[in-house]
Amino acid sequence: MINKEVLPIAEIQNWMQAMLIQHVPISHLDVTTADMVNDSKRLSAAQHLTIYRQSYIARLRACMQSQFKCLAHALGELLFQDFADEYLDSNPSASYTLNNLGEKFPLFLEMNRPDAESEEKEEWPDFMIELAAFEYALSEIFDMQGTDDINIPDSNTPDHLLITSPTLHLFEYKFPICSYYLDFNANLSPNLPFPQKSHCAVSRQNYKLGLFNLGIDQYYFLNCIKEGASIQEAKDKLIEFYNFERSNFEKIWPIWRRNFIVSGFLVCKNDA
Amino acid sequence: MSEILKPASTYSDIVKTISNPGLGLGLRSMHFDYILEHNPPVDWFEIISENFMDSGGRPRHILRKLADRYPVVMHGVSLSIGSTDPINWEYLAKLKALAAEIKPLWVSDHLCWTGINMLNTHDLLPVVLNEESLKHIIGRIKQVQDYLERPLVIENPSTYLTFKQSSIAEWDFLRYMAEETGCGLLLDVNNVYVSAFNNDFDPVHYIKQLPHDRIVQMHIAGHQHCGDYIIDTHDRNVVDDVWKLFSLAWELTGGVATLLEWDGNIPDFNTYHAELLKAKQFMNGMEHASTTPIQIKKENFTVSNPVSFLVNDIKF
Ligand SMILES: [Fe+2]
Repeated sequence: MINKEVLPIAEIQNWMQAMLIQHVPISHLDVTTADMVNDSKRLSAAQHLTIYRQSYIARLRACMQSQFKCLAHALGELLFQDFADEYLDSNPSASYTLNNLGEKFPLFLEMNRPDAESEEKEEWPDFMIELAAFEYALSEIFDMQGTDDINIPDSNTPDHLLITSPTLHLFEYKFPICSYYLDFNANLSPNLPFPQKSHCAVSRQNYKLGLFNLGIDQYYFLNCIKEGASIQEAKDKLIEFYNFERSNFEKIWPIWRRNFIVSGFLVCKNDA
Repeated sequence: MSEILKPASTYSDIVKTISNPGLGLGLRSMHFDYILEHNPPVDWFEIISENFMDSGGRPRHILRKLADRYPVVMHGVSLSIGSTDPINWEYLAKLKALAAEIKPLWVSDHLCWTGINMLNTHDLLPVVLNEESLKHIIGRIKQVQDYLERPLVIENPSTYLTFKQSSIAEWDFLRYMAEETGCGLLLDVNNVYVSAFNNDFDPVHYIKQLPHDRIVQMHIAGHQHCGDYIIDTHDRNVVDDVWKLFSLAWELTGGVATLLEWDGNIPDFNTYHAELLKAKQFMNGMEHASTTPIQIKKENFTVSNPVSFLVNDIKF
């Protein structure tokens, strides 16, 4: 028999946390809520505890909702909430910040896709998983370390001093994720798209995000630079890979260059 | 811990020298542009430390600019001073680094625990109020203060239950804690009102019993009445009964830094500021204040301490 009046505070905290974070609360102690919590004039002990239980899940649900606004739209509120609740149940937060609450959500969706057991795969879960990963990436890029307001090239900066910005991120998807996200953000209530290979870039300038659809050749070119190639090397690779006519490419290069600088993809080398 | 902890007087001496910076507002991302552009005449801003300590992007960038223009107070929600888990030194290192950068007037958090077994419920959970927990919390406050090299300022949270194992009144607990550690207190007048309603105690008695010379700051806020209980929502105007308690606390403390919390349904900056400035009417008792009768409208369940402001609001 435990003496409920002299329970150590660690035991009490263990009990309370278990009552809050589990969908179906399980107490490891042989106690009832009435053994631990006082009734008040208006509420029973259980009702008092319920306020914390409801707050816990409602708060974290709201947090997931604001971290994955676009995904919530795509899945529909109810289905999103079901996934979010299951995710929170199996991945309770272990961080002092809520900013990374959804970090493992894309992986969770992948592991728990409704067609996991069946041979025939449906397409929509692929879209949802890509969208979740993209949306989480946006929140990371938004708040990552970066110097947004220095090393901006101008029209006189020679090509060999250009590199990709540390905040530039490139994405390749099976679905038109960036277009869907942009439509959602413009309040256009987009419908679920059909699969269509897509490439996009996310950059950050003056601490604000920019989202851009890219052509596959632009994606290839920027990726080369991101992996360490110089502009000249990236040009050579691109021309070879796509069998471009060099003179034709050199004609469009000034336009690419200008757009890549204006969009924050290219910055000056630090020592420039 | 084998090291020798500094005596309470190291910190209580500092707490006694803290002067009143005036009326402050919580810094919220939706107001960033307005504040930068208009430099509104607010005496000081309170930031949620966790929103900025890991930030390498816009939140930290804006904070650096604002800290040059306004006094700032750092208010945390994840210190978990009452938890029986080990102290999270990684968290404290980040807190200390942020404080070194923005030089806040003081650093505060709550008398609560947020989780154990390395988990975080992201709620301000109530501590058991007994001898064991008092000793535990005093020891932790001392360690944290020595590490941060500054006094902590601890706030009374809103509570929605009391434990059978509690044996000390919350006001006494706060007084002993402040005496033994030298920490300051943040009196959240709305939280006293909410906790008093939920747990059947007299909020006036609570405020009268506190060690008033240790109170360096007050919070005021709006809440949601759900009929049988009240939820601390910070999403609306302050009710008259809370203004009355504020008036009493102002008189007893001789006037301290006062901040209006608003975290849900956040209005435009000027509406928020105007609600704060009402505090001036209540600084000389209630007789000059224009009050409107309370209407208790029973509302459905809602979330306490809303967190919408704890997740970055991405700017495109
Ligand atoms: Fe507060």
